[in-house]
Amino acid sequence: MKQIFRRYARLFSVQLRTSFTLAVQYRFDFFIEGLLALLWLGITLVPLMVVFARRATVAGWSYPEALVVVGLFSVLKAVLDGAITPSLNHVVDGIRKGTLDFILLKPADAQFLVSTARFDPWRILDLFGSIAIVLYALRRLHHVPSVWEALTGCALFSVAILLIYSLWILVVSLSFRVVKVDNLSYLFMSIFDAGRWPIHVFKGALRVLFTVVFPLALMTTYPAQALLGHLSLAHALLAGAGGLLFAGCARWIWQRSLHAYTSASS
Amino acid sequence: MIDVSSLSKIYRVHRRPPGVWAAMRSLVHRNYENVHALADVSFHIQPGERVGFLGPNGAGKTTALKILSGLLYPTSGKVTVGGFVPHERRVEFLRTITLVMGQKQQLMWDLPPSETFAMNRALFDLPKREADAVQNELVELLQVGPLLGKPCRQLSLGERMKCELVAALLHRPKVLFLDEPTIGLDVSMQAQLRDFIRRHNEATGATILLTSHYMADVAALCPRVVVIDKGHLIYDGDLKTLARRIRPEKRITLHFASVPAPGSLDRLGNCVARSDSQATLSVPAAQVTDAVRAALEQLPISDISVEDPPLEEIMREFLGGERENNGGKTPT
Amino acid sequence: MKRMQQSSASRALSGVRRLLRAYPSLLRVGLADMLAYRAEFLVWILSMNMPLVMMALWTAVAADGPMGRFGQREFVAYYLGMLIVRILTGSWLVWELTMEIRRGTLAIRLLRPIHPLWAFSAMQLAAVPMRALVISPLIVVLYWIAGARLPMHDPERLAIVFASIAGAWLLLFLVMAIVGMLAAYIESALSVFDLWLGAQAILSGFLVPLELMPAWVARLARVLPFRYILGFPVETLIGLESETVALRELGIQWLFVATALAMTLLLWRKALRRFAAFGG
Repeated sequence: MKQIFRRYARLFSVQLRTSFTLAVQYRFDFFIEGLLALLWLGITLVPLMVVFARRATVAGWSYPEALVVVGLFSVLKAVLDGAITPSLNHVVDGIRKGTLDFILLKPADAQFLVSTARFDPWRILDLFGSIAIVLYALRRLHHVPSVWEALTGCALFSVAILLIYSLWILVVSLSFRVVKVDNLSYLFMSIFDAGRWPIHVFKGALRVLFTVVFPLALMTTYPAQALLGHLSLAHALLAGAGGLLFAGCARWIWQRSLHAYTSASS
Repeated sequence: MIDVSSLSKIYRVHRRPPGVWAAMRSLVHRNYENVHALADVSFHIQPGERVGFLGPNGAGKTTALKILSGLLYPTSGKVTVGGFVPHERRVEFLRTITLVMGQKQQLMWDLPPSETFAMNRALFDLPKREADAVQNELVELLQVGPLLGKPCRQLSLGERMKCELVAALLHRPKVLFLDEPTIGLDVSMQAQLRDFIRRHNEATGATILLTSHYMADVAALCPRVVVIDKGHLIYDGDLKTLARRIRPEKRITLHFASVPAPGSLDRLGNCVARSDSQATLSVPAAQVTDAVRAALEQLPISDISVEDPPLEEIMREFLGGERENNGGKTPT
Repeated sequence: MKRMQQSSASRALSGVRRLLRAYPSLLRVGLADMLAYRAEFLVWILSMNMPLVMMALWTAVAADGPMGRFGQREFVAYYLGMLIVRILTGSWLVWELTMEIRRGTLAIRLLRPIHPLWAFSAMQLAAVPMRALVISPLIVVLYWIAGARLPMHDPERLAIVFASIAGAWLLLFLVMAIVGMLAAYIESALSVFDLWLGAQAILSGFLVPLELMPAWVARLARVLPFRYILGFPVETLIGLESETVALRELGIQWLFVATALAMTLLLWRKALRRFAAFGG
């Protein structure tokens, strides 16, 4: 067991090193993208500021509370853009060119290799900016999360990252069959955008959709609620279990898709 | 080492005729047909053998290699490589084999080959000292030392191919699958690679499966060939025997000291090429000695050589003839 | 001898004739291309959900009462209109152009007797029928929600709506052409376009109706081109403005289009020279 862990740790560090070497080589491009990400972070705050300039609460959320959700959303987005999307694009590209074969020929778990293929280190700017927003919002509320709240918040946030990652695995499994769909990551990001606001903004069927089918609620609203102390234990446990189940399903679908995979001709 | 019995691979492909109307119709209704990439193929390869896979484009050679390396699942039939079932993709199996594709590369494009080597060493969990020794030996044999620090996109095709071979052999695999490794390379580079592959096989006893369109590759490297056409295995055996069976003739090339008398050539044999200074005759193998003696006696010869007919021609005829027979099998 | 004495006018005329003959087949090729890439098209359509997300937010906000002129109905109408306009006028020219310049395949287009921009425009225009098909249910929903306001029975206003959408399409196309051509000069032309998109998100009424923004933002937006790509067509569609104001703004939109066209033609020649000298 320890042997396997050590092996994968070594692999992970080699993969990281590759991404860093690339990032240094194309540092100009990556830096610009990092700055642009910060700019977009600012832009997404604009609607919120306009709304709360005229209203005190929306769907039961006050400005700082909503800001926590937006902040957590942005942290998640930074993790997504920095650690998950680059690998996704790399893999989909590899499927199209047929170079994914080489990954499948290596004696290591394909899902691991595919997930750690590329990172974008400049998204750290994004990450810090978003965390700053969350901290600012908490300060405005004069709310310091208790240990319990902080723990559940972080735990749920980890579930959120796991969920996003599983969704991504599903997307890649899909692109095994529908090779030409290059802009799947674009679609993915757009659906993800709906998690920007507290989930209570959506009513009825849509809310169910975003809680159960695309579990956006789990990703941003629940962790925010946990941090603010508004989330019941039952809800938190349910969310955690749901997330783990989802991840298990994704892994199973990945294995099946790999089974049916046909590499690009010649 | 490699055992294949009744291997078949069938693809379901959606075929759409061209045109806007057909395109719109295919939005609602799709026609699928079954493509038999491989049909009932069987062969056995001993450890240390060098075998060439021949056949026209789309014959199924690459499909066979991909099934043998575990990238594709066979539709039916039994396949074992080194005692393993390839598509189970066990770790020990993957350590035993390597696949090199001439049209794709595993080297990372924007980074120097040394980075890919480091990656592979981590992937195959190779202990540092051993891996260093193997890498240095390969680098020296292939003479790619000065290239290791340059990003791959700056290397020429031949240099990339050599580095690709180093990356593929770092883990000392016992079976090498080479899919058109010399494609696009210049003649001298092709010869270098062929030499390397043969010496590697002799030194390490690794089993080698090679597909190539260049008959020179196959002739130089593979004493045994397997010919596949439209998914069917139509020949498995010695290349020379096949050649002699298809074209049981030899080519005699005559260089003249002075222009020969008209008609004097035709008495000797079938003339396939001729100019004022030389001519090439096609003569049945049994009659070669007589023909040569007659030529030396009757014609003003300055140089003479006897060769087998070009392999390309033989293969073309073999495969063309097979097509006319509607894929009938020649007995091996 | 006679051919060499052809005046430049008649040469231009034969060029136009050539274009008119070739354009229909270019459109047909574009349509076939669209059908071939229908999966990508579907994915693209499904990714257009930002207006719907904003709609959810603003209708929740308006649940307690209207914001300015916008009640819940108005917000739904506005963002449905935004979705319709966004789908109809969207274009991917900037990605295609930057890729062709970087890979050097633009050179192939230059060998053809038709100006590459015409060929590009045909490919983008060919996408419109399929998109119109897809948004027709949205238009039905829009009519059901805001029927009274829509200019269905007023031919003049309908004409303004169509003209504004056409102008928006053209303006976006030309802006993309200009930014795309920058790829001949700098590595990250797409980052420049990202900046444009960022400004557009705020200043075009895409995220927030311009009326609801602080007054200085709304004033700034009126003199910048962003609004005339998205916000303006939407406002004419759902009848937020009087006819006289709409006409005046239509004039401004087409002024922007004319300026963009002039810039495109000017920059094109320079960019080509640079492309020929340096490749991608």
